[in-house]
Amino acid sequence: MPSSKTHLSQTELEKLFSHRKGSDHGAIYLTQKRLTHSEDATLPSRDEEFPDLNLSEPVPILIRASNGKSARERGDKAKISTVVKPDDLDGFYVRYADICKAGMAALKPRDRSKKKAKAKKKKTGP
Amino acid sequence: MPYFKTAQEWLDQSNLLLQARPATTRITTRYSIKPARTRKSKTVEESATDDAAATTTETKPPRGSLVIKTYDPESGVVLKYRTTKAAEVSRLFQSSLGRLGRGMAAMPEPPVEEAMPDAPPAGAAAEGASTPTGTAGQQQTGGGGGGKKKKKGKK
Repeated sequence: MPSSKTHLSQTELEKLFSHRKGSDHGAIYLTQKRLTHSEDATLPSRDEEFPDLNLSEPVPILIRASNGKSARERGDKAKISTVVKPDDLDGFYVRYADICKAGMAALKPRDRSKKKAKAKKKKTGP
Repeated sequence: MPYFKTAQEWLDQSNLLLQARPATTRITTRYSIKPARTRKSKTVEESATDDAAATTTETKPPRGSLVIKTYDPESGVVLKYRTTKAAEVSRLFQSSLGRLGRGMAAMPEPPVEEAMPDAPPAGAAAEGASTPTGTAGQQQTGGGGGGKKKKKGKK
């Protein structure tokens, strides 16, 4: 069940990125936080002031992704989320990183600045 | 809020924040693209004779940037790091976010891996080769591409 959920989100995330690929502006927001339900959260007591710090077992985390459109532009708004179980974390981050790396195509490729500096040197040199 | 100069600094501070407030701290990554500014510099005018270079400067690809932010709404702490390098993406996501994610999930800390810094260059190089935004790559290979390949072969 959790793995299928992740997979669904995986293709959705790729879709989200692919919308950005052609355009020259826009943003994608990715958020991660601990998944907590306010109802079952243990309240701080005198014995244990910070119950969040000493959990008996790992908790899932929540990953959200959106294209940053406000509710006013509801038509264009895209929002997806997934819950990652503690045991799936490592596998998830491998795939997550791969998708993001592929999706963030507008970032500077590694060797570009070096090449530019060299080209400048060559041009100004002689 | 100021940005950290290095990703490592950001990671260390974020880790501390997460240890202190694991339930409320969130990490937001913003990948944004802005159209490249058209500006005239000396190098542009100099290379204007060369038409390949001229078209490169005119149709500059849009610039992307990645801002990674750790925020705890309860204490109001914000820790930010910004990069424009594709080479950093895989390291930031896989090891940094992954490690922080383990902290969020209250998993035990994994053993410290020192081999990680070697991983990003390989991934980045592969990505650079396969990026479908051809405009920048194709035009640039006209001039500097050959040189770059030679360098790589020598090393």
